[in-house]
Amino acid sequence: MTILGISCYYHDSSACLIKDGKLVAAVQEERFDRNKYSSAFPINSINYCLQSANLTSYDIDYVAFYEKPFLKFERIILNHLRSYPFSLKNFLDTTPHWLKDRLILPLTLKEELGFKGDVFFIKHHLAHAASTFLTSPFDKAAILTVDGVGEWATTTYGTGKDNKINVLKEIKYPNSLGLLYSIVTTYLGFRVFSGEGKVMALAETGDPKYLDKFKKIISIKDDGSFRLNKKYFYFNKGGRMYNNNFIKLFGDPRREKEDIKDRHRDVAASLQKTVEDIILKMVKHIHKETGLDNLCLAGGVFLNVTTNTRIVKESFFKNVFIQPAAGDNGSALGAAFYVYNSLKNQPRKHVMKNACLGPEYSDKKIKIFLSNKGVKFKRLENDELTKYVAKKISQDKIVGWFQGRMEFGPRALGNRSILANPGNPKIKDILNKKVKHRESFRPFAISILREDLNDFFDLEIDSPFMLLVGKVKKDEVNSGGREGGLGQKKELIPGALHTNNTSRIQTVKKEDNELYYNLIKEFKNITDLPLVINTSFNDQEPIVCTPEEAYNCFARTKIDVLVLGNYIVEKYV
Amino acid sequence: MEEKKICKKCILPETRPDIWLNEEGVCSVCVVYENEKKFSKGEKGALETDFIKILEKNKGKGEYDCLVMCSGGKDSTSALYYIKERYKLNPLAFTFDHGFETSDALENVNKAVDKLGVDFLFFKSSFMKDMFAKILKTRSKAVICHLCSMWYMDLTYKIAAKYNVPIIIAGWTKGQSVKQPVMSKCACKSDSPEYASMAKATKDFIEEHVKNDPKYKGFPQNMEEVLKKAKKRHKSMVVSPHWFLPIDADAYVETIKKELDWKYPELSYPAKTTNCELNFISVYNSKKHYGYTHYDLEMSRLIREGIISREEALRDLEINFDKDLLNVIAKKLGYKFE
Repeated sequence: MTILGISCYYHDSSACLIKDGKLVAAVQEERFDRNKYSSAFPINSINYCLQSANLTSYDIDYVAFYEKPFLKFERIILNHLRSYPFSLKNFLDTTPHWLKDRLILPLTLKEELGFKGDVFFIKHHLAHAASTFLTSPFDKAAILTVDGVGEWATTTYGTGKDNKINVLKEIKYPNSLGLLYSIVTTYLGFRVFSGEGKVMALAETGDPKYLDKFKKIISIKDDGSFRLNKKYFYFNKGGRMYNNNFIKLFGDPRREKEDIKDRHRDVAASLQKTVEDIILKMVKHIHKETGLDNLCLAGGVFLNVTTNTRIVKESFFKNVFIQPAAGDNGSALGAAFYVYNSLKNQPRKHVMKNACLGPEYSDKKIKIFLSNKGVKFKRLENDELTKYVAKKISQDKIVGWFQGRMEFGPRALGNRSILANPGNPKIKDILNKKVKHRESFRPFAISILREDLNDFFDLEIDSPFMLLVGKVKKDEVNSGGREGGLGQKKELIPGALHTNNTSRIQTVKKEDNELYYNLIKEFKNITDLPLVINTSFNDQEPIVCTPEEAYNCFARTKIDVLVLGNYIVEKYV
Repeated sequence: MEEKKICKKCILPETRPDIWLNEEGVCSVCVVYENEKKFSKGEKGALETDFIKILEKNKGKGEYDCLVMCSGGKDSTSALYYIKERYKLNPLAFTFDHGFETSDALENVNKAVDKLGVDFLFFKSSFMKDMFAKILKTRSKAVICHLCSMWYMDLTYKIAAKYNVPIIIAGWTKGQSVKQPVMSKCACKSDSPEYASMAKATKDFIEEHVKNDPKYKGFPQNMEEVLKKAKKRHKSMVVSPHWFLPIDADAYVETIKKELDWKYPELSYPAKTTNCELNFISVYNSKKHYGYTHYDLEMSRLIREGIISREEALRDLEINFDKDLLNVIAKKLGYKFE
């Protein structure tokens, strides 16, 4: 049975393909059309998914869509009516899109793919729930999904057992933690979709001194359920979603280019703490109600690594699984798995251990690209390659590392990554200013050998998808010759740490990505540090997909070494 | 002897005024290509679903869904394979032989149609023989392959009309063009500088030796006329699956070898292709008159598209035949190369 999963028309359009219960391919449209968070019908992604399995659209049995468009349209129309006449402009702007494509998906599929079979529309939060539970290693688990909004639901929880999911409770629009996060993101002068991560990073540099003010705009019950106080928000006018009462409470909003002040940092910290506390309450309540040991999480809010880490550490669940594409991209695969496992009553066959599900380029293709480009390059076999690249990183060179299949989800996990030396105290500034061209407060993630995790960080569990943070340990160690003498661990890896001495962590095991593991191992042999800085391979654009995009990013930034498969291109040699 | 200068990026030689190299050693065709690429930024390439859209729109209208031009080469044989096996269509395979097709190629076609179980039309004619002989005897610079392609396209359109087939499937590669509307017009942009001299010579030859020859009464003056006549007669379009599929030649050769027992011929130019015997003469003449052939143009485009490497193209285009072979073929046309 072949099922195509699709999410599109809002943000993070994606497609995935399940063949006989196994996920064979998944990719976001932005990687092809090069529009960040692309909302387009994912025609390129669909073509890729089918071709990767050597299939055509004629081989698809079912299409699964990540929401119920008519139900969502109902919410939108009702909200417009409630806010009329203020909502008129927004109504006129959005309605044509609904009529043109969102409500006629089967027709679009017939026209674009020649697909005439059944299309299943799965409720958005059910798709999120399926994306995490049905791909988790658990037979039984509690499930929590939190995002901006689906059709009506913004938060749901329930349980999963074998191939079935039971939703116990949901919170409906406009009460939404995702929406609240996005609203405050815009208030702080950042953009929705791209700015939430920045606010999370900013929060780490602030003091949560406005918790009382947040209590005015959101009321919270003991079970973690909550309600936004409408007095502070516009929900249907279009444009900004906070109103003058909100501004009276928190002060003037920050403009996009304006300097970031302590007040902004403190608002971000207060928001982060508020959201974390609510979710913690919810999770504890869910644990009490379900009595289960395992928890599965999905929805864009669970890209928030600080919240995730508190759940892992402070909730009473023994095991937590977070699907790597926790946002709407992942709901494409949730919808597909829900059709396969739950609706078609097939046993579960896939555990998501690896997020590398996208395009790859053969040795031959890479060689053709480089030789036709006319650049000087060399080829090294894997053993020599990892030694050579590790040495370059240890010499403070910045490396563009392009290997195998591209990752699904927002994180680069060692196949489309920029790698750097965490021991270099200046590396953050160089990466932010000269490679990524982004705000100076933004921290970088690290990839660390799993077996060495506990030597450096207080995190105890696997974090293969870079969805958790760890605080560096305070142990005194020999500084490894870099500075000489004894020092704290944090002094060994200044480039890897945020201002609060934490780092977003990807744990790497040999069996998951051998080449990447070996590279870090070689780096450890040279430096005694079992970790490298790992940031996504891009510069103000979607993560690079092709060798050409990787080369262009290398050429226009301060990346020193480009590694495309086994081929190496270097600047200044 | 002065060494021939060739483009640093592709493999085209400098043949002023048609093709010239700039100070960096890059040819005018590559420069135009790069400029066009800049302006078409964001324009998506052809996807397989685009091909399926075309098939869906046209299939099921007659006894056959499409007519597949099959020469027995790797590209057309794989096109036939895809049409039947990947897209599940009911094709009519069609092979023409102007008297110079090789037994290797025809064996490949026969095996393919048998294994795929498709209906097959084989058309053999010596109609073009006198025209080919005249090109040699008059030492014309006209390109044999251009005249032949006008004839066989005219013939193919007639067959499509006869069987009421809406789609003609060719095995043309992305080396001819990546823009489907251009390719559907039989791939030749005769107004492009790199084709200009060849196109003019062919036109002059037709004007002087074909137009007034009673045997060739009604023979098209150029490819545009073929298309115009075809359009009036019956509406059918030419498409190739290779324009839409990201599968490279090595991969589909493996498939047809395995599934259809397809084989490379013993000798062919360029290497790893299957072409008729006259192709050797056409290549020899083009090299002599223009310094390059349509294969250099095709391979150069494949290099620009990142499909093959420059080294690969240079290797495959090395001349692998001699005058003795040319004379064996030319003898059939009553001609001898000195």
